[in-house]
Amino acid sequence: MAVLTETLIARRRRPVARAVEGQELALILVLAAMWVLLSLSTDTFLSSDNLSNLLYSVAPVALIGVGMTAVIVTGGIDVSVGSSAAVVMVVVAKAIRDSGLALLPALGLGLVIGLALGLVNGVLVAYGGIHPIIVTFGTLNLYRFLALRLFENKQVTGVPDTFDVLGGGKDGETLGIPNAWLLTMVLAALMWCYMRYWATGRHWYALGNDAAAARLAGIRVKRRVIAAYALTGIFVGLAGCVLIGSGGLVQQNAGSGLELRVIAAVVIGGTSILGGRGSVLGTLLGALLVGTVTSAITLLGWRSELIELFIGVFILIAVGVDLVRERRRRRAR
Amino acid sequence: MTTPTRITPPAPGDAARQEPGRQGPVRRAVGLVLAERVPLLAVLLVAVVGYFYVLGQQGYLVAPYDSDYLFAALDTLVPLCLLAFAELVVIVSGRGGIDLSVGSIVSLSGMAFGFMVGLWHWPVLIALVVTVAVGAVLGAVNGLLVAYLGFPALIATLATYYAFGALALLSHNNAPISTKPIQDVHSLTRTVSLPLGDQVPDVPLQVLTFLIPVAVLMWLLANRTAYGRRLYAIGTNDIAARFANIAVRRTRFLAYVLSGLLSGLAAVVTVAQFASARPDAGSVGNGMALPAITIAVLGGVAIIGGVGRVVGVILAGLLVVWLNAGILLAFEGSDGSQFQLFALGALLVLSALLNAYSLRRGRGAG
Amino acid sequence: MTSTYDLDRADPAAAGTQVLRLTGVRKRYGGVQALRGVDFDLLRGEVHAIVGENGAGKSTLIKIISGAEVADQGEIEIDGQQLAAGSTTSALGAGIATVYQEPQLFGELTVAENVFIGRELRSRGVVDRSTQRARVLELLDRIGLNRELADVRVADLPVAEQQLVSIAKALSQDPRILILDEPSAILTDREIETMFSAVRALRDSGVAVIYISHRLDELGQITDRVTVLRDGSVVASRPTAQLSVRDVAELMVGHTVDTGAIERTVADAEPALRVSGLTRLPKFQNVDFSIRPGEILALYGLIGSGAADVARALFGIDPADAGTIAVDGRDVVLSTPADAVGNGISMLPANRKVQGVFGPKSIAFNISSGHLRLLSKWGVWVDRGREKSIATDFIRRIAIKAPGPSTAVNNLSGGNQQKVVLARQLVERPRILLLEEPTQGVDVGAKDEIHRIILELADSGSAVLVISSDLPEVQQLADRILVVRGGAITAEFGRGARQADLLAAAAGDTGDSPEVSSATDGSSA
Repeated sequence: MAVLTETLIARRRRPVARAVEGQELALILVLAAMWVLLSLSTDTFLSSDNLSNLLYSVAPVALIGVGMTAVIVTGGIDVSVGSSAAVVMVVVAKAIRDSGLALLPALGLGLVIGLALGLVNGVLVAYGGIHPIIVTFGTLNLYRFLALRLFENKQVTGVPDTFDVLGGGKDGETLGIPNAWLLTMVLAALMWCYMRYWATGRHWYALGNDAAAARLAGIRVKRRVIAAYALTGIFVGLAGCVLIGSGGLVQQNAGSGLELRVIAAVVIGGTSILGGRGSVLGTLLGALLVGTVTSAITLLGWRSELIELFIGVFILIAVGVDLVRERRRRRAR
Repeated sequence: MTTPTRITPPAPGDAARQEPGRQGPVRRAVGLVLAERVPLLAVLLVAVVGYFYVLGQQGYLVAPYDSDYLFAALDTLVPLCLLAFAELVVIVSGRGGIDLSVGSIVSLSGMAFGFMVGLWHWPVLIALVVTVAVGAVLGAVNGLLVAYLGFPALIATLATYYAFGALALLSHNNAPISTKPIQDVHSLTRTVSLPLGDQVPDVPLQVLTFLIPVAVLMWLLANRTAYGRRLYAIGTNDIAARFANIAVRRTRFLAYVLSGLLSGLAAVVTVAQFASARPDAGSVGNGMALPAITIAVLGGVAIIGGVGRVVGVILAGLLVVWLNAGILLAFEGSDGSQFQLFALGALLVLSALLNAYSLRRGRGAG
Repeated sequence: MTSTYDLDRADPAAAGTQVLRLTGVRKRYGGVQALRGVDFDLLRGEVHAIVGENGAGKSTLIKIISGAEVADQGEIEIDGQQLAAGSTTSALGAGIATVYQEPQLFGELTVAENVFIGRELRSRGVVDRSTQRARVLELLDRIGLNRELADVRVADLPVAEQQLVSIAKALSQDPRILILDEPSAILTDREIETMFSAVRALRDSGVAVIYISHRLDELGQITDRVTVLRDGSVVASRPTAQLSVRDVAELMVGHTVDTGAIERTVADAEPALRVSGLTRLPKFQNVDFSIRPGEILALYGLIGSGAADVARALFGIDPADAGTIAVDGRDVVLSTPADAVGNGISMLPANRKVQGVFGPKSIAFNISSGHLRLLSKWGVWVDRGREKSIATDFIRRIAIKAPGPSTAVNNLSGGNQQKVVLARQLVERPRILLLEEPTQGVDVGAKDEIHRIILELADSGSAVLVISSDLPEVQQLADRILVVRGGAITAEFGRGARQADLLAAAAGDTGDSPEVSSATDGSSA
């Protein structure tokens, strides 16, 4: 047992290992390996154009993923984010087109809408006593209905480039990196700190571990749950603005399938669907991995359907490895 | 990590619960409807049908909401209900059981059917059997991941949702198979008239050949077979099931196989309905898994497992389909399909709230 | 919550002063008088043990002290001031902290986080991380946990360390009084010493410790005084040095009235079950015994003794690593419950809520769930008529108080639920029946009925193995009693053994000479 204690202490000491869990380290390595391979096998992967495209397309998924990480850590889930993104997009797009709203107020509008939609989820889960998957399946439908009504049966065209600075074009980049991605990284870093160092952030983990014990320990469980969904809603608002980006067109099926991509990113990143465990860094890496796969397959000229095949396989590998690791950890005690 | 002290004195009120006091019949009926899902659904069904019928009589609807229309609308019910049965089985099996991949299994096994009938010219019946087997095998992959390898069901079926969906698209270069033999299969979904007189409307054939037999078999499985018992047992308490010498892993594995099998069946119906084996059949709109899960949950299947009635699922399916049918007539253009989304979402949330409320109020405390 | 760490409440210099005093505490629980006028006092800087049989009132007393329950009568004083009854918050505020048997920790969080979770120290709204961390390190030092473990994930720690984290957590509430509820129950012998050091350190720093334990042999090593409860009254309260394990056992058990000793004869025959060299480290090793048809053998031991694990190995739930098992003379391998059932072995698990019942389901469902193949035509079709009649039959035979076979088991009382699970074992008369704590949490009436059923079962030829930590039950049922301690069989008794002897043997009294050791000087045994 003394040996075990020493192992535990030694494991804890390495600063890199502290900040970065095992799963994340593996993901970084895999990502690095993929990028190396791809830069060797294609001419264009490492081009700034391609990389900035990749980062821009990953940004919305990663953004929402940051919030979704908190939700899943509490043992819940939110499958309505695609629909709420659509609501945000249609409202904000029309606002900047028809009312000439400037960047910041429009952004604020998006955030408020996202927050409101997220709050509804949070309150239903915390106070309604309903399982999160049912609540969010319900709001998925309701929000999609809302979005479609707001679209008024046609896509939104002629959207101005108010959000250019967050868009996918040249104006949306700083030093060659899309601002959307920079924003994502900053917010992810903040969230990472919050979930690691702030008491209320740690409470999410406690509550995901054992909600009953958390309540007994004095944690305001309902508040924390609502906060997680509300925060996700805010991130959805942001992501919606990023998706509007350089403007032009917002289609009626906006956000369709987004929730599954977000969940995939979170899960590949090492967050356990059972709650209590996970980190935002992993989610970022998971989103990057999915984005890299997408980009790679396109550049390599492979069938685009293979993207989803790879995503499925990666999910299994990531979760499988995590399962094995947890089992080994438990046996070592 | 729960109860602190091991030895507890007998709790006050440990004696057998008292019988509920005698209440008036109306109060009891209301209580029943609030507490039990099946009566609630029946009431809602009658209310919905009645409401739209009246609307139709008064001329608010584009077309009459009569029994002809209702029977014809059953064609959308068939694949939905089959998939809802699939979800019933896996959700009842417990341990977070769910199957997000049913839509992709429909797509992939539908393509298999398309190949067999449309390109290789196999007899339809044999192709049907093989398709169902394909579905079962795909379900077995889920079952292996969840029951034997310990993956959470949400994760495993999310992964196979992607993988099977991709395979379906790849199978025929993302193109549907609509050759003549496939188009002939459409006759499987023609409407037929029942030899019960003129009053009884024509009904889509697949209701008689697929839905009703499967519904009966599902009911028998759940309520009369040993397997059904095992399924509900592991969903209720799989630790106690182990002590009761029930093969927990095998039972759970078979639940996912069954789900795949039912999805394969739904695939055949879908191909026949559209006269085309489409590689994205299972992913139209929000995918087929979503409405299937919604109907199952609406029908009273509890997410925690061990609870769920076949009758409930059927009623929920009817409610959703006939409500949607009414909405289509009441609203113009695409408004109708939009309001269907609203109805579905609202129904789901409200019924879940109602359930939670009645659990907390009466039966949970008692 | 205090934001400065003040040691005033636990002051080594104040050792010996009375910190807690209970006078005339009475408590009635739904028809049972759990406490009959208990007087109890506790001094600073002492480790005071409370011992007693199941049902003697220990847990009730502790609940009253910690505020989880309100006494019907009597007074509780902390440092001379009345304590507001029935409130855990006020008890906590008065400086009473409790550490329960199961560590209520969050596995994914670190040790440091667990200590203050939910009660984080804040200065002007923001978490004061540095003060908190300093406090955590102090606490770890105080109980002897390596400081470096502060950032280790609790789930990675061995059980003994987790227990210490629980203690640290309780300590962070700056208690005057620390209640330890069966702290050694989940620890192995080696790990216990770690816990002992922590407790001694606490005592030396002025905390008053209430130590609840069944393991009487530990008392001499760690406690200063012992209070013995029996049937809700205090029968003795003396310095540990004056009592031997046997003395304590006698006091706990008292002068038992002869309950009309049951005469049973067991036919001499080949054993139905023979076990030799059965080992599953670290739970039990080299267990040998045999049971003849019609015989009731009890494995009697305290929680954690390993007895329950033997049963689980015999049912294939946690199979043994080594040793042989022979059923009716044939060697068998029991690696799954199916193997066990196939060899005629059936088991009643200990925790009916978690391991036994399908709560929302009917009595009929519960009973038939163990015999689906038997009750199905062609193994597929459940014969509901037969299922119903079997259930009805059992309801009558073993007096299950329920309206009918379709009653949901959750609606039954604990005793009746237990009967339902027992009925499941009896559908096909098992050749060998393993019963783990068969009457735990069951009221007296149902208890007798269940015992009657077990005796009838044995009379009809089944070999019965009872794992129990309930003395009267063991005494009443068993033809032979094997005492289990530390994973090994340490003594054997026959019918008519005295409860005190059994208890002493299980608690570690190995010989006839009284064990006298002084713990006040802090030396370890």
